[in-house]
Amino acid sequence: MSDTKDAERFAMIASVWNSRAKGLIAEMNLKIERANRQGVEIRMPFNPDFCLDEEGTMLHGGVLTALLDSAFGLANFLAIEDVQTMATLDLRVDYLRPASSRADVIVFAECYRQTRHIAFGSGKIWFDTGDCEEVARGSATFALTRGKGGLLDKMNIGGPGG
Amino acid sequence: MKLSDIQARCDRVPFFRHLGFSVTEANDTHFVARMPFEQRHIGNPVLDTYHGGIIASFMEAIASLTVLGDLASLPPKPINLTVDYLRPGLPGTLNTRAMVTRKGRRMSSVETVAWLEDEAKPVAKGLFHFLLV
Repeated sequence: MSDTKDAERFAMIASVWNSRAKGLIAEMNLKIERANRQGVEIRMPFNPDFCLDEEGTMLHGGVLTALLDSAFGLANFLAIEDVQTMATLDLRVDYLRPASSRADVIVFAECYRQTRHIAFGSGKIWFDTGDCEEVARGSATFALTRGKGGLLDKMNIGGPGG
Repeated sequence: MKLSDIQARCDRVPFFRHLGFSVTEANDTHFVARMPFEQRHIGNPVLDTYHGGIIASFMEAIASLTVLGDLASLPPKPINLTVDYLRPGLPGTLNTRAMVTRKGRRMSSVETVAWLEDEAKPVAKGLFHFLLV
């Protein structure tokens, strides 16, 4: 696939993902900052509903786990052209620092290896504060089925390269 | 600890309110809770299944309760987690059982299982480590 076609496909996937978000992904109010075969970078604004305390000084770790899981899904769609369905097999997360900031959260995720049946993902999270110290790191594996008529088609966006 | 006191403490945590669970059993090493399905818990927009991160968060929340010293103490610090997703998280009330495997002076290890209708058919299992100091 040419670079231009690639770029069109990535832009389309990103636009569907942004506009058709539902459930937790909509609640998290995610914005895709960068999306290509090498990985995705997504921004989540601070949300007091995701905190451990009423004062909103610390995010619950589970939100970071959910953010990594979401980003892995998108990274897989970008990296695997004919993915039809994917199911998370397992997810591992290390909480490296307390998530005590009201800054936007940035997550990076990549699919660093794919086989016919399995995708391997790796990702990390930091606050957009300038020092970019990692708050969490995660990895996950996914069971894939490949073929036509994947999730993105079912979200009514088909089209060339979709 | 009384269930109503535990629930009152949970209801002071904004993210626990977002999850919307109620604790149904509690003793020193073992907690059970149930969480009704909500639109905001959806992960897959076509199948309307639970988001994997919501299942993991729910299990982490209940795991953390098992190692809470008493209701006045600070929440334990999560170190890491592993979740094994075993079956689709179909829409429906999700249950979680959390059991302390080992509680030391500084560290604690907690196992969890989450299921929809039949505990023998779990949706996910989890392993959570907490720092207690």
